Amino acid sequence: MKKYSNLFQLSFFLTPALVIIIVFYLLPLVLTVYMSFTPIRNWNTERYLSQFIGSYNYYRIYHMVKYDPIFRQVMINTIIFVLITLIVNVFGGLLISLATYFINEKSSSTLRLVWLLPRMSPIAVYSLVWYYFFHGSEIGTLNSLLLKLGIIDKPIVLGQGVIPWGPWSIIVFINGLVGVSFGMIVFSSALSHIPRELVIAARVDGATNWSISRKILIPMIRWHILYVFTWQLLSLITSYAHTFLLIEWGLVNRDYGTTLSLYVFLTAFGRGEQDQGLAAAAATILAIIGTVLGFLTLKILKFERMIAKPRGDI
Amino acid sequence: MLTDVEVRSKKTEVAITIAILMASIPLFLAFSLLVLSSFSKEMMTNLSLESFRFTIENWINVLQGKLAFTGGIRQNILKYTFNTALVALGVAGVVTLISALSGYALSRMNFRGRKFLLMFLLMLHAFPGVALIVGVYLLYRLSLPSSPSLVTTFSFMYVIVARAALEVPMATWLMKGFFDSIPWEIEWSAIVDGASRIRVWRKILLPLIKPGIAAILLFGFLAGWQDLIYVRTFLVEPTLATYIEANLEAEYSHMPLIAAAGTLYLLPTIIFFLTSQKLLLETHSGGIKG
Amino acid sequence: MRGYVAVLLVGILVFGAIASGCISSEKPTTPEKVEVSLTGDFVKDVVNIGKALESNGVNEVKFTVWGAGDPNSVMRVYGIVEAAERINKVFNENNINVKIVVDTNYVASFQQLFQDYLSKQPIGQAGDFFVNSYAFIPTLAKEGYILDVTEYAKAYEKELSDFYTPLMEASKWKGKLYGLPQDTEARPLYIRKDVAKCSGFDLTKLEEKVKNGEFTWSDVYAKAKAAKEKGCSEWGLIHRKGSAHPDLIQFIFAFGGTLYDENEDKLVLDVPAVYKWLYVEWKFARDGILPEDIMSWDWAKQIHPAIVSGNTLFDIGGTWYWAEWQTKDYYVDPKTNEPRGLKPEEVDAWFYYTLFPAGEKGQKPVTLSQPFVWMINSKAGAQNPKYDELKDIYQKLAFLMILKASDADINAIHSVISSHLPVRKAAEDLIKDEKWLNDLKNLNIDISSGVKAEIADIVKATVHPINAKFLADVSYMLEYTHLAPSHPKYPALADLFKDAVDKVLRGEMKPEEAVQFLIDRIKADPELSASVKIVGEVPKDWQFP
Repeated sequence: MKKYSNLFQLSFFLTPALVIIIVFYLLPLVLTVYMSFTPIRNWNTERYLSQFIGSYNYYRIYHMVKYDPIFRQVMINTIIFVLITLIVNVFGGLLISLATYFINEKSSSTLRLVWLLPRMSPIAVYSLVWYYFFHGSEIGTLNSLLLKLGIIDKPIVLGQGVIPWGPWSIIVFINGLVGVSFGMIVFSSALSHIPRELVIAARVDGATNWSISRKILIPMIRWHILYVFTWQLLSLITSYAHTFLLIEWGLVNRDYGTTLSLYVFLTAFGRGEQDQGLAAAAATILAIIGTVLGFLTLKILKFERMIAKPRGDI
Repeated sequence: MLTDVEVRSKKTEVAITIAILMASIPLFLAFSLLVLSSFSKEMMTNLSLESFRFTIENWINVLQGKLAFTGGIRQNILKYTFNTALVALGVAGVVTLISALSGYALSRMNFRGRKFLLMFLLMLHAFPGVALIVGVYLLYRLSLPSSPSLVTTFSFMYVIVARAALEVPMATWLMKGFFDSIPWEIEWSAIVDGASRIRVWRKILLPLIKPGIAAILLFGFLAGWQDLIYVRTFLVEPTLATYIEANLEAEYSHMPLIAAAGTLYLLPTIIFFLTSQKLLLETHSGGIKG
Repeated sequence: MRGYVAVLLVGILVFGAIASGCISSEKPTTPEKVEVSLTGDFVKDVVNIGKALESNGVNEVKFTVWGAGDPNSVMRVYGIVEAAERINKVFNENNINVKIVVDTNYVASFQQLFQDYLSKQPIGQAGDFFVNSYAFIPTLAKEGYILDVTEYAKAYEKELSDFYTPLMEASKWKGKLYGLPQDTEARPLYIRKDVAKCSGFDLTKLEEKVKNGEFTWSDVYAKAKAAKEKGCSEWGLIHRKGSAHPDLIQFIFAFGGTLYDENEDKLVLDVPAVYKWLYVEWKFARDGILPEDIMSWDWAKQIHPAIVSGNTLFDIGGTWYWAEWQTKDYYVDPKTNEPRGLKPEEVDAWFYYTLFPAGEKGQKPVTLSQPFVWMINSKAGAQNPKYDELKDIYQKLAFLMILKASDADINAIHSVISSHLPVRKAAEDLIKDEKWLNDLKNLNIDISSGVKAEIADIVKATVHPINAKFLADVSYMLEYTHLAPSHPKYPALADLFKDAVDKVLRGEMKPEEAVQFLIDRIKADPELSASVKIVGEVPKDWQFP
């Protein structure tokens, strides 16, 4: 009886989440893998769904990897982009949430709001904002600022001229800002749950902000940090939307701004036709890479040990 | 609410504020220029005041649903705003409900596969929406009602649940964190008194994690409000995001109008965020130590 | 716990199986199809269709039209609205109680709209009418997303013979007609008269010299260089950017090259012509006559202001520039220091225009058009009652609507207010008719009040005898026009071209390296390399200028 009631209660709590995971993750994943073996394109499921073309889509990707003259650069871009942005995201988010933690609430919430803007902006508007900001001529905000201050006497063509770090820094900056706000929200809400008594007690003992952060705050939100780290790693591998328009508009050099996911996006959906079969194959590969990377991260960071036994199970 | 205001030094506080301000300059600058441009006849980009020529025509046009000065076509922007809000609120509601349930189970109940489920949830983000969308679209096609009149309604429901699904793993993790921070003893006494877990969850725990719920609501709302790709692929009706996206054409769009539309798009979220901030930061008062 | 998950999984699978069973078990009952045949007499056909609808209890027909483009081109959707009004009038006059109601959707980005159409058409939620570039016809036709109107058009052969043949050809794919041309344009070479004068460049009879191939790109180079060296302008040449706008492939045609092999239905990379094109770009940029970073210039803040304020001698643009310079504030008036649009008189006084000159002696001048086409959704009418029975009626009605929307006056109005070229002779005649133009300016024309109100402000801003004369003057260019190939893979190739041009302009690659880069990238994608034929070799000892 007791066992039955426990099972009932457990399913009450877990069923919705499991259903949604099965329906919107596992099932689509199976469908994606299936579609990667079909020539499906232009969303024409009626026509292509029952056609089977074997591993053609994978072969196509393999062929491009091997023969495309820009592919090597795309790989380098991806590695640089993911690593640096990841660091910017996690540490930036942590820094801002810690810093705002120590200042009064009013200014902290305003500041946090500013850092939230990148996340809330529609992608096209966000790209437009930075397009003008980094534009490589006098019309660019950054260039005109530096010109006015007399730091430079000729506009810097950051996205196209300073190769490779110019385009890299722009895409890292733009994606980093979006990620920083993500980390910031997670960390801030986690920090707000730490009993203030702990902090006050430490402060009375003469602890500095730095040592409070290091000894009390960071350890208490460590799983949040880990979480943000892993999540960002995986999502950076698949993100392309914020870079796409900037390359399209000529702000960022295409060879040095294109990352793996953007490369796939452009090949599958670039223009004219929409090749969902190819996209599905790429998604399958990405899923595998993502799983392996995610798994490795969890292992390296000894994630399992951090999962505590639940309290209070009867 | 307890703060350590009395003991911390004013000077460092000012220093930190200034430091963050400095770091925020590009953001401040870029977004202020966007807002200013929405009141100008041309885009302000190079910090010269000459390019600022005041006008409110951009706003009048946008509020009338027009993204062009001469010509263009009037769209029902009120409806688009409503659509956007509907999706955002829907996503917020679904995510919060589901994660409040599963977060509790993962925090408080021990069952086989719990550790696996936790890890698995984390891994699910290995394939975010973009990668899965092809499969999600096929599912959409397979489940579409045959009567065309139902398609619009169905597309709303589908996009809400599908978009919410992307946030569920993270929200569940966060919710688990919030539940973890509530001392077990509070619940224990009620359970000993014979209350069911469901009842305890609803009556005792939910009120205690209000800030967490607010945070998740905010997350869900933002995710739904700013979503472009899912909305564009599944929703039959336009939202603000798709409307702006479809009308931003580098060659001939009047950019100050886009700036006004973009600012309008940001407004509700700013308001929502400002009002929920308090809730977000409100720490629960609790005497019992964990 | 494992058992619990298993139970859940089984449950969902069972549910899924039942659900899919439900869907597939719905046996379609074959309804009695109602059909009418088109006679070629418009009023008679409308009346027949109206009566058929009425007798089936349909009194209101709903259609949606999707269109895209610059803000002045709204007749792309209002044309359909107007056509519906005109057909309603016919219904009314014949005491038929049927009314067509049209919903409109118009956005700026035509590529975005195309993608929307792709994802919404299969679920029956895309517009019944779709106005977009002819370049998308191959993809849409291949997937069966648009209606083949070849048969319907046969009944109206006489009326359609008024349309320009190349445009009708552009609306076809594999011999089948998939819509009616809506508008087109030419891409003239604009020349600043003041800069030309300053540098001693005599423009008299230039148009003739370009036409007979006497004035080639070598001359463009010489004149541009002279203008810059004499300090008459900052640049010698400005051109457009991006790959969606295929201006620059005019070079391929101007050097006698080709882009498409009809027999094999393959795209062509014509190496000699592409090399010469890239060489010209490279040479211009190396000599500082063409900005090497033109591909990242901003449209509204750099490209257009540079042209209208006379910072360049030549500009490769489009006919729509003519109106755009008048409606947008690109020009800073030196007297007031205020940005404003140009006056028609100013545009006329400042700009000379001619065909895109031949690449070298022995070749012909060219221009390039990208016609827009009125297409009909293969599911047109699906949101109306008794679709299964009346499908044929709805589709024919839709065809009559695009036919009506091509009425000479509707097409002429569109051309005048958006600076596009008309698609048929009758419309071209109207544009040349001063009285008609005057009536249009005063909105004294026979169009429905709703549409009239919507376009009033555009009419006010654009209708001017000078502008109409410009359109009439450039119409001859259509005789020289080329179209980018109608091939599903063309956009992918165009994207590569853009990259190659950017690289030579910036000096990252020499022309021959860029050609090799193109070949390598085409070969990298099996799908693309299967659709592109690479012909010829980089010419040795070729000289430019």
